[in-house]
Parts: sequence; structure tokens; C-alpha cells
Amino acid sequence: MPGTLTPQREAAKQADSDTRAEPDLPWITIVWNDPINLMSYVTHVFMTVFGYPKGKAEKLMLDVHRLGRAVVSTGTRERMELDVATLHGYGLWATLQHDS
Amino acid sequence: MKVRRRGGVVRLRLDQVETRLLIRLFDDLVDLVSADDLDAADDPVRRRLFPAGYRDDDAAEAEFRSLTELSLRTERVARARHCADDLAHDPAEVGLTEEIGQRWIAVLNDLRLALGTQLDVTEEDGPEIDPDDPLAQQRAIYYWLTAAQDAIVRALMR
Repeated sequence: MPGTLTPQREAAKQADSDTRAEPDLPWITIVWNDPINLMSYVTHVFMTVFGYPKGKAEKLMLDVHRLGRAVVSTGTRERMELDVATLHGYGLWATLQHDS
Repeated sequence: MKVRRRGGVVRLRLDQVETRLLIRLFDDLVDLVSADDLDAADDPVRRRLFPAGYRDDDAAEAEFRSLTELSLRTERVARARHCADDLAHDPAEVGLTEEIGQRWIAVLNDLRLALGTQLDVTEEDGPEIDPDDPLAQQRAIYYWLTAAQDAIVRALMR
């Protein structure tokens, strides 16, 4: 898993309260490439979860595959937590963060 | 295993060996997912099935996990049991309506995530298997699950 080096995690803990003090900035959901999820399945999940047309879902899937990651949705923190939890339910490797 | 579209419905046909194998895999998955040792940070399979939502924020991640992990487990156990029930209802054929199809591709994905992580598969790995590999059988099962999932997803999207 990325970002598991202890010094970074400790630093993140301290920065946590600062991060939460900027409610106006949008949050993003990122899907990361992994060697198990199939291209066909990832496309299908993007269509099912977000209602994206096939072309957009395929483009996002190819971004994940070729670039290693893609932003698949944008919105409030609560909404992105819901999206990430839903994508975890489908087995995709998704995270959320501030769009900075 | 065969995936066919007949009468407007995608149908999954299985022989006895395949059905028995799937029932065993569903049982193993239920055991794995319901195991109550939450302190499983060192277990790559558990980490892959329950990934972090926040990469760089321990406190936010702990809160996110406390809100989502139980429902994620419940969801996985329920669909594995549901798919086992589908096979108990008819061991040779499952009619994949929209709802049933969704849970079958998701459960096959859960099985592949668990097995693929144990096997440490990479994107470069092909389905050809070295018979001297001590994990040859596990790899054969993984690629069989992969082919099954891909065929069902493609049939459902058509």
C-alpha cells in the first residue's frame, strides 16, 4: 500500500486539523491501477456506480490502466467518502483526497 | 463453464467439478472476510479487500474504516452466500438477470482479489502455467475465475 511510511503518517496526523478547515475546496475520488481488476469490469463498474456513458467509463478505465490513476468523481468530502466506500464494495482500489 | 445469452437472459452453465469448486471458494471467502482479527495490517489479502480510503491521513482513515468496514464485510459475506444459494437452487445453470449478474461478477472479483493477491500476480503474468510451479493449481483456478468474470461482464454489457 502506498503512503504507509511511518514518518509520513505521523506528519499527516498533525496536518489533519488543517485539512479539515477548508470545506470549500472540492474533494476528489481517485481510482488506482492494480494488476487484478479487469479492464472490462472496471469500465462496467464506472458505468454502474456513476451512470457514466460507456465512452467516458472506458476513457477513465484507460487512464487508470495507462497513467496509474484517474479522478473518477468530484464533490463534497461526504459524497467522496460514499463513492470510495461504494467502489471498495466492487473491489476497486479507490481513495479520496482534497483537490489541491 | 459457458456463458450464453438465451431468451434475452445471460446464462452461466457449470459442470459438477466447477460447481463444487465454486461452493468451496465461496465458503473460504466467507471465512476470510468474517474473520474477526481486525488487526490485520500485515495481511496483504485483507489489505487488498479492505483498502484505505485515505492514503496520508491516519485519523481520517481510522474514522472512515470504523464507518465502512462492517458494511463492506457484510456486503461481501451476503453476496458469497447468495451466490452459493444460486448454485444450491440449480447446480448446473444460473440465469444472470441484472441483479444476479451484478452479484456474480462482484463475487468473482472478490475471489480473484483474494487469490490474485496471495499469488502476487502482475499485469505481465499470462495464463500459461508452469506445471512445476507448486502453485500451479491455484494459478489455474485464478485464470479460470478471470475468464469467467470477463465473459460474464462482456455478456451483461452487450
